[in-house]
Amino acid sequence: MIRHSLLIAARINRQFLRDRRYLGMSLMVPLILMLLLKYVIDSLPGLAHFGVRVSDYAILIAAYLVHFLAYVLSTIVLVRDRTAGTLSRMFVSGYRRREIVSGYVAGYSTVAAAQTALVLVCTRYLFDVKIERDIAAVVLTMLALAIVSVGLGLFLSNFARNEGQVFPFIPMVIIPSALLSGMIIPVGDLPTVLQWCSYIVPLTWAVKVLRGVVVDGSSFYSQLMPFLLLLGFGLTLLVLASFTLREKE
Amino acid sequence: MSPVDHTNHGDLMSSIADPGAAIVIEDLGKRYGAISALDGASLTTVRGQIYGLVGPNGSGKTTLIKAICGLLKPDRGRVEVLGLDAARDRHAVRKHLGYMPQTPSLYDDLSPLENLRFFGGAFRPPDIGERIRETLEFVQLWDRRDDPLHTFSGGMRQRASLACALMHDPELLVLDEPTAGVDPVLRQSFWRRFAELCDKGRTIFLSTNQMDEALRCDHVAVILGGRILVSETPEAIRRRGKTRVTLEIEGKSREVELDGYEEELPRLLEEYGLQKRVGRISLKRQSLEEVILSLLKEAK
Repeated sequence: MIRHSLLIAARINRQFLRDRRYLGMSLMVPLILMLLLKYVIDSLPGLAHFGVRVSDYAILIAAYLVHFLAYVLSTIVLVRDRTAGTLSRMFVSGYRRREIVSGYVAGYSTVAAAQTALVLVCTRYLFDVKIERDIAAVVLTMLALAIVSVGLGLFLSNFARNEGQVFPFIPMVIIPSALLSGMIIPVGDLPTVLQWCSYIVPLTWAVKVLRGVVVDGSSFYSQLMPFLLLLGFGLTLLVLASFTLREKE
Repeated sequence: MSPVDHTNHGDLMSSIADPGAAIVIEDLGKRYGAISALDGASLTTVRGQIYGLVGPNGSGKTTLIKAICGLLKPDRGRVEVLGLDAARDRHAVRKHLGYMPQTPSLYDDLSPLENLRFFGGAFRPPDIGERIRETLEFVQLWDRRDDPLHTFSGGMRQRASLACALMHDPELLVLDEPTAGVDPVLRQSFWRRFAELCDKGRTIFLSTNQMDEALRCDHVAVILGGRILVSETPEAIRRRGKTRVTLEIEGKSREVELDGYEEELPRLLEEYGLQKRVGRISLKRQSLEEVILSLLKEAK
């Protein structure tokens, strides 16, 4: 089981290394977006009058970017494997559903980890957010969020028959995540119904941990509950993805 | 391998010892919405033979092959592969099954070496490095082993795809149109490879829409509309064809069509008393391709 998952993860990473342009782009995109954000925010000095501290948002936006990119990427690749016939071939070659799901998580998490490292460097030096003290908590939260993103992508890709059908699923996850997670609007300010909705948005829990640890300066231990919830979301999605991964037509 | 795998392996070995059929399909049916892909297909294949599934596009060949590989949830019927249930025991079956899909279905950005290591590595063949070398030499791609597949021609990709199916030296090879889009020279070499594998005791189940390839199989099934029309040796199918007899009598020629010339020709010639005036008798039998085509036409 573990050997097969590692074979899959190794194959995915080898493909990334082979596809230099793609690798370059997936690392450049978060970097460019962070720079853009910095530039836009710096040109709006008025924000400070409203009591908005930009540095409070940088880490949340970094998390959002990693979530977004890992989710979109993993949705598309699995659908591509299905349409290209490589998924069927994997099954007949002896790979099982749970091995494929865990292999994809391992493979794409390494990419997400590289993106995380980049956005964290941006957060630290572009926005001057002191994250060193809580670096373990931040990295763990980001990795848990990456697992959630890949799990969500793999699970939702079961509902798309081709790459074109993937696209409606992208805003369906990304926009509620931005609006309901508490990243921009505090969850407490939302109407009750939307507050309930926000609890099933995984990003909500990542935002809660990161805001608590980085912005409010509380300990990781005090944020253990939302962190475990985030991890729980990830594991649930992986189990769902491996049970719904269609092997037979 | 887990202990469970060993048990399955044991079961499978005992059934392989039984010299029975490699594949048994009974009344297999599958619909996709309004389209009936398989409509009561039944067939049996013998171990150690090349079994050809011949039929036009959309006749149900690929669906049938998917059922053998455990990639199909049939609406009705039963598929048994190497003595095991193709759907329920698919993990045990696949240890002894090599599958070549209709499209190459490999990772284009990786080399043949990397594809073989990935697809052929799951069943852990002993000495994988040597096995990859052997397999790539067999399909004549060893020289290009490190080049990414997107630099390959269609025929080379087909060869890489065949190599993937051969990696764990499976007992049964299931090949979906292995020679589609392959040039005539390469096609010859594919068929030589199939014959070599058969000599080594492997069973090959392949589909083709090239009627002439049916002649190279030990047994041929003609499929149309998801149903098997005939399943016989190529010779038996050919015998279903008509024989055109041209008699040249004192310079004038007369053409007669016979169903089976072995029986009907002597009777036909009796009419003429087999006299010396019969100068020459030439026979032109329908080719296998023509027979299959007319079978398909009748069925429509």
